[in-house]
Amino acid sequence: MTRLWVFAARDLRRMANDRRALVINLALPLLLTSIMGLSFGGGIFGKKGISAIPVALVAGELPDALRDRLLAGLQESGFFAPVWADSAQADALVRSGDVAAAIVLPDDALKGFFQSDSLSVAVWKDPSSEVKAGIVEEIVRRGVLRVQAGEAAYRALWPDDYRISTGDSAAVADLFAGGLDEIWRNLRDPDAVDSRKRATEFLARAMDHQVALSRALSEPQVGLTIADRIPVAAEDGRESSLFDYFLPSFAVFFLMFAVAGGARDLHRERTRRTLQRQLLGPGSAWPVVVGKWAASVVQGVVMLSVLLLAGALLFRVNLGPDPWTLPVVVVLTCTAASGFFMLLALLVRREKVLDNLSTAVILVSGMLGGNFMPVDNMPEWMAAVGRFFFNYWANLSFARVIGDNGSLTAVGTPLTVLATASAVLLVAIVVLFRLRVRRGGWA
Amino acid sequence: MIEVTDLVKKYGTHRAVDGVSFTVGRGELFGLLGPNGAGKTTTIGVLSTLLKADGGQVRIGGHDVASSPAQVRRLIGVVPQEIALYTDLTARDNLMFWGRLHGLGGAALSRRVEELLVMADLADQAKRRVDAYSGGMMRRLNLVAGLIHEPEVLFLDEPTVGIDAQARSRILDLIAQLGRQGLTVIYTTHYLEEAEHLCDRIGVIDRGRLVALGDKESLISQIGDVDLIRLSLPEGERAAFAAECGAWPECAGVGERRGKVEIRTPDGGRLLPRIQDWLRAHDLPLEQLEIERPNLETLYLNLTGRGLRENGS
Ligand SMILES: Nc1ncnc2c1ncn2[C@@H]1O[C@H](COP(=O)(O)OP(=O)(O)O)[C@@H](O)[C@H]1O
Ligand SMILES: [Mg+2]
Repeated sequence: MTRLWVFAARDLRRMANDRRALVINLALPLLLTSIMGLSFGGGIFGKKGISAIPVALVAGELPDALRDRLLAGLQESGFFAPVWADSAQADALVRSGDVAAAIVLPDDALKGFFQSDSLSVAVWKDPSSEVKAGIVEEIVRRGVLRVQAGEAAYRALWPDDYRISTGDSAAVADLFAGGLDEIWRNLRDPDAVDSRKRATEFLARAMDHQVALSRALSEPQVGLTIADRIPVAAEDGRESSLFDYFLPSFAVFFLMFAVAGGARDLHRERTRRTLQRQLLGPGSAWPVVVGKWAASVVQGVVMLSVLLLAGALLFRVNLGPDPWTLPVVVVLTCTAASGFFMLLALLVRREKVLDNLSTAVILVSGMLGGNFMPVDNMPEWMAAVGRFFFNYWANLSFARVIGDNGSLTAVGTPLTVLATASAVLLVAIVVLFRLRVRRGGWA
Repeated sequence: MIEVTDLVKKYGTHRAVDGVSFTVGRGELFGLLGPNGAGKTTTIGVLSTLLKADGGQVRIGGHDVASSPAQVRRLIGVVPQEIALYTDLTARDNLMFWGRLHGLGGAALSRRVEELLVMADLADQAKRRVDAYSGGMMRRLNLVAGLIHEPEVLFLDEPTVGIDAQARSRILDLIAQLGRQGLTVIYTTHYLEEAEHLCDRIGVIDRGRLVALGDKESLISQIGDVDLIRLSLPEGERAAFAAECGAWPECAGVGERRGKVEIRTPDGGRLLPRIQDWLRAHDLPLEQLEIERPNLETLYLNLTGRGLRENGS
């Protein structure tokens, strides 16, 4: 293990010394990713902190004027791009990912408000669009909390108002029952003079204090329920942000170049004879090649981590539902990638041939493995072929974790494939390398 | 210390090393001299356990190279013909790595690295990357890197190729110093004067065969105390001359090489009048005639039919 680390540490130090590689492996992907991020909109470079979040607004019986006012208010906030919907539509919109969340006022919101019954606002959110739905939830929650706090304070200060309002609420409710036409009629009905008077008194008082509040602290009248609306089915065309997909897939694409470079170094070391010099050391030969593999894995992990973290910081790319799923995907992607390109290097005898072959392999597997096209949108034949490339499984894992906010169980299959491939490739590398050394082909 | 017996190494059907035998004693500086492609590097490859021999036996410090390579590796240090260093690392980082490779660490490693940097006269340049070094500096670092684990035997494969005369003499001094310290050294080169200057004994290798072996004096005496006379003759006359000349008592041998007749003789002074007589009798002018006193170069020419300079420098 220490011997292995001697070899790996040497390569890592060399990589850190290699400014050109740093530029190519980190700065370039970061730059491309940024350009891509900006063209997909948003990010810290956008005019607003975040682009307006699409929300559906459900408020059954609100009068048109009130609805318009509410819509305009939400739009003006700059945070939301609201649309009206009935509850069935809103449900569908959330499930299809077309809106990040729906804010749902109950059918009898207005009535309940005037009757001082409890008012319950619901937020339905798309759990895979965690960030944006979270923002909606947070804003609504704050609004509701503010009302709840006011309610509590009001009640503490004017306990009498509470008693009066419960007594008078029935009259108000009668007065304001039904739609606007009916309210209009009630207000003009001569039989209702008394109740109108009481209602007016009540409303006056309520308006004096801006909000009609009642009931005990233990039973807040304005409540909030948050409900996830899970997408109906993955292949239902639900589309997370393209950027969420292409950041990792571009990173994997550049990762392939980086680890191919690391594998090519094996040939460099052979022609420069540093490889032969290492074989003269005590102990067995395999740590020489496994150390190189390990360095390449570390390099890849650093590279992917930097790119993903940059994506998260600059463009609010989702990093998965928990702190371990994405790292596992990153590590297994790198072990498979390093293994694959190291094996390629061992199979090819000349550096020049390897160079051309690696480039061709990267482009082809990039194309078929989903680095330029989301794996979920691939035609069937392509997905079938893609399965033979490790990057298909890497891209699939990233799409599930970053795009769909899936946890380890959601990426069980691709991770198993990546882990198995990594192990098989590593064994193949060691066997092949020892064979080469024993035959003297590498001396 | 080193015993090589009937060593054969083939590449496909090509016998790169073809039945080479020699021994090197402890503390001896042995030169393996031969033109490019002679099989020097291949020989070093087998001796250093990196290549498997196709025939013969090599023992170093009593260990068989083929059956106990690990023991052999502990004894030997190898300085490859190429600059086998990480040019993207500093000199110190290089030596630290090669030291760790051999299981050194801690203060012992640091001490050894400083020692070698001083030995290579690179102590003040140790923090520079090797790719900023001159050819001579790289060669010196390449050499001391082979010494990091204090081997008893050092293989030096053409450690002076491609550098200027001054840098070369610094390297030769360094090797001479190592020799005085009791290190056993096999030194390959295609520069005759290096082998002559540096080595206790020399093996001349050509086309995979060891064509001469011994110290400088014994090598020369192998062809006897003979002069070499080269004579230009028209092509039609050469065979006739050779036939007649071969019969003269003063002549130790006659042959043809590169359009000239070559005559070996213990006494060039007595043969010359006879040659002049023959030329006059055949109505030929004395166009060109050289007499060469014996040295390693003539020996080498005699043995291989090739000048060392032809292929080498
Ligand atoms: N890896 C190899 N494959 C095939 N032939 C080789 C190989 N290495 C060396 N040779 C051949 O073996 C002969 C000896 O080469 P080498 O030992 O390198 O000579 P030297 O070191 O004396 O210049 C040459 O003819 C060379 O072409
Ligand atoms: Mg050579």
